Amino acid sequence: MKALTLPAPRYLTADEAAGEATSDLALTVAPEGPKIITRQLDFFYGEHQALFGNNLEVARNQVTAIIGPSGCGKSTHIRAYNRIYELYGEQRATGEVLLDGVNVLDPAQDLMELRRRVGMIFQKPTPFPMSIFDNVAFGLKLHYRLNRGELADRVEEALVRAALWDEIKDQLRHSGTALSGGQQQRLCIARAIAVEPEVLLMDEPTSAIDPIATAKIEDLVNTLKSRYTIVIVTHNLQQAGRVSDFTAFFYQGRIVEFGPTTQIFTNPTQKQTEQYITGRFG
Amino acid sequence: MKLRPPTGRLLVNRLVSLLSAGAALLGLAVLAWILAGVVARGLGALTPALFIHLPAPPGVPGGGLANAIVGTLVMTLAATALAVPLGLLAGVYLSEFGQDSRLADQSRFSANVLMGMPSIIIGVFVYALVVIPMGKFSGWAGIAALAIIMFPIVARTAEDMIRLVPNTLREAGLALGAPRWQVTLAIIFRAARAGLVTGVLLAIARVSGETAPLLFTALNSPYWVSSLSEPTPNLTVTIFNYAMSPYPDWQQLAWGGSLLITLGVLALTLLTRFSLRDKPR
Repeated sequence: MKALTLPAPRYLTADEAAGEATSDLALTVAPEGPKIITRQLDFFYGEHQALFGNNLEVARNQVTAIIGPSGCGKSTHIRAYNRIYELYGEQRATGEVLLDGVNVLDPAQDLMELRRRVGMIFQKPTPFPMSIFDNVAFGLKLHYRLNRGELADRVEEALVRAALWDEIKDQLRHSGTALSGGQQQRLCIARAIAVEPEVLLMDEPTSAIDPIATAKIEDLVNTLKSRYTIVIVTHNLQQAGRVSDFTAFFYQGRIVEFGPTTQIFTNPTQKQTEQYITGRFG
Repeated sequence: MKLRPPTGRLLVNRLVSLLSAGAALLGLAVLAWILAGVVARGLGALTPALFIHLPAPPGVPGGGLANAIVGTLVMTLAATALAVPLGLLAGVYLSEFGQDSRLADQSRFSANVLMGMPSIIIGVFVYALVVIPMGKFSGWAGIAALAIIMFPIVARTAEDMIRLVPNTLREAGLALGAPRWQVTLAIIFRAARAGLVTGVLLAIARVSGETAPLLFTALNSPYWVSSLSEPTPNLTVTIFNYAMSPYPDWQQLAWGGSLLITLGVLALTLLTRFSLRDKPR
């Protein structure tokens, strides 16, 4: 296990990098262009092919929504980004998923590192059967070498940024599974952002929680995008319209249309997109 | 169209309800009968002496089962210490890693067979494997026999309990970058904790009453446990011997020992029920 020391890697802008070229502190120059590019991404569940030649560019520090009817491959698509599908032996992906230009489907890719950089929020909240504090500390302890004080600070910071701190600051030792559904989901977001990921994958994050909790999570997505690149799969078209900058419409494993959200919703170029947006199927 | 009158259907319903209630009551009655018998005859023997003294020779009044109690505790604990870690590991392999592979299938099948095997056969097996080469009965052989009986119980319950943990939790752990073993130990074990504890307690309850496997391995002894390389006193074989003896003192002690084991198993079972109940939140 590779433990990183604080602070987490920070990219310098090109100007900064030029100014600090001689300094030891100079880190990588901030990569330009899309955060994630998929090229000819195919996906298979055993013999069954679920994705066909997906080409997509996920813009840096923007929210990209993936919409489409049930079973069209939305979740499957983002599950390739962090290779979580590898839990199941019979699933495989081919093609390329480039994260800052590096193909993460390469067998040589370190999965721990990939998953620290690409966090994931699931449809059903998945608090671990441990205290709220330990839930958030779990990933932190995994990736960073922190003393008690630093750990507590980072846990608090993550909970604050997930807009949960004020509600639970007096019950950090209580079980994470005892929270309400909406709180659990924000706990999962806190847990994911605590490890300083670069990308947040959200797989229908609000489909299992009530409208008020949903609104809180949508607000959160809007504030989080300044720090992270967010990809959100959603069944809810209004939600895609509210939170996303770009939208990809999936149908039967293919990307039918991709573009700025306003354009997809007001002026789609494909007939299938228009039919789906206007509620004629799906 | 004429509706069928409900009388026949209601009658059958009545009858089946009565029969099933009767069957349930019969089971309960037998249990109550056994418990009442053991308590009635054993309670008198549960004196402080039983817990303090060694058995007395025939004809000498008094005497206790202290050495047998210690022996049973030592052997059960040692068998638990052996079988539980191995059983948990095997359960983890079956549920998390082997899953539907051939090796896992065969292991699961063997475990099921082993679980159904009469315990006396395991006693004879250990007799041939340990007692004959060592040249004498010993506590170690008894521990081995008990551990062999516990192992498949722990492994299979652990597998079933771990399988009950939803995959979403595994995905959540892996998605944070945790390696598989850490997800299993830190998250899955915790989520399945109540079930795992239950499996272990049930396995302990099961072996704490075993007589046959000890008859061929640990045998018995009227003395204190001095070394596990010697025949080791234990409650069940003592009960077996004393109950068959012609001496009323010994028969009385056998009843006391029976009550003690019954209470122990009862306590373990109650503990199991408590552990299954979720902690108050």
